[in-house]
Amino acid sequence: MDGDNSTTDASQLGITGEYMASGHYVLQSQEDDGEENMNDHDDSGIKENFREQDIYLPIANVARIMKNAVPQTGKIAKDAKECVQECVSEFISFITSEASERCHQEKRKTINGEDILFAMSTLGFDMYVEPLKLYLQKFREAMKGEKGIPGVSVGDNLGDDLTDESFSNPMPAGIITADGQQQNVMVYTTSYQQIPTVQQIQFS
Amino acid sequence: MKMSQNTPVKDDDQTSTNKKSLSLPTSRVRLIMKSSPDVSCINHDALFLTTKATELFVQHLAVSSYTNRAEKETKSLSYSDLANSAEENDTFQFLTDILPKKILAGDYLKSLEQLQEDDDDADF
Repeated sequence: MDGDNSTTDASQLGITGEYMASGHYVLQSQEDDGEENMNDHDDSGIKENFREQDIYLPIANVARIMKNAVPQTGKIAKDAKECVQECVSEFISFITSEASERCHQEKRKTINGEDILFAMSTLGFDMYVEPLKLYLQKFREAMKGEKGIPGVSVGDNLGDDLTDESFSNPMPAGIITADGQQQNVMVYTTSYQQIPTVQQIQFS
Repeated sequence: MKMSQNTPVKDDDQTSTNKKSLSLPTSRVRLIMKSSPDVSCINHDALFLTTKATELFVQHLAVSSYTNRAEKETKSLSYSDLANSAEENDTFQFLTDILPKKILAGDYLKSLEQLQEDDDDADF
């Protein structure tokens, strides 16, 4: 962690994090141009062609979740939104690497739900695990209820590697239902009246 | 239907992570997951859980940083609030590399001088 070259100016001056009283710093100019620093503070990213952090979730979605999480009167600075966007990619990579490693250790090729939950537990996000299990359960129940086919586990068809098409296009659920009925229902969005409200986690 | 569109639906904003569908595009989440080394297949549950967990993470980070923000009066969440969270909260430690704290050049040089003075005084 210390001495890493992601903090540009400190390392350029030959000073590593160890010299600082707390953590490492990046220099900013007098005006707070947060956006600029956002993009070029990781020098090592320029050397590599493609880091996982370069792919981000859409900022509008991220910003909306943030906005709904903080009190009504709260505002979010633009550089904060962009920053969380990057943090999110970091989080996903963080979890995925851990899950992937466990998979390899057990000589499996497919990362499954258990791997993800285990990774979260290991990495300090165990407070998410129970709510997530609940969400998954509700989702499955909703899927079964929607299709009206008891005993058909949606997971069966989708246990294999999924193509992007499964998710990115609003495909009719004909690919999932066995009765061939044309329904304008997407994989993840069903009539959620069936799902009782899951208790929102209190983060403070 | 909000896989990757931001279709404005009335009550959806308030309850997106409670009742409704995932408010993050799973295809993008999957892309990020796949960019990790040695990741071959990701099953349906794993993708769903990761996407959902990411929503929770965003909420968690936002609320935690906002609550502990430095400038209480402005009611605004700033970058430095996030950087502080990364430093002070164990859960967010993994973010410290991408959330370096910002310091004015002048202040940095001053603190550097101060540390060098301390070094000179100390017995090594």
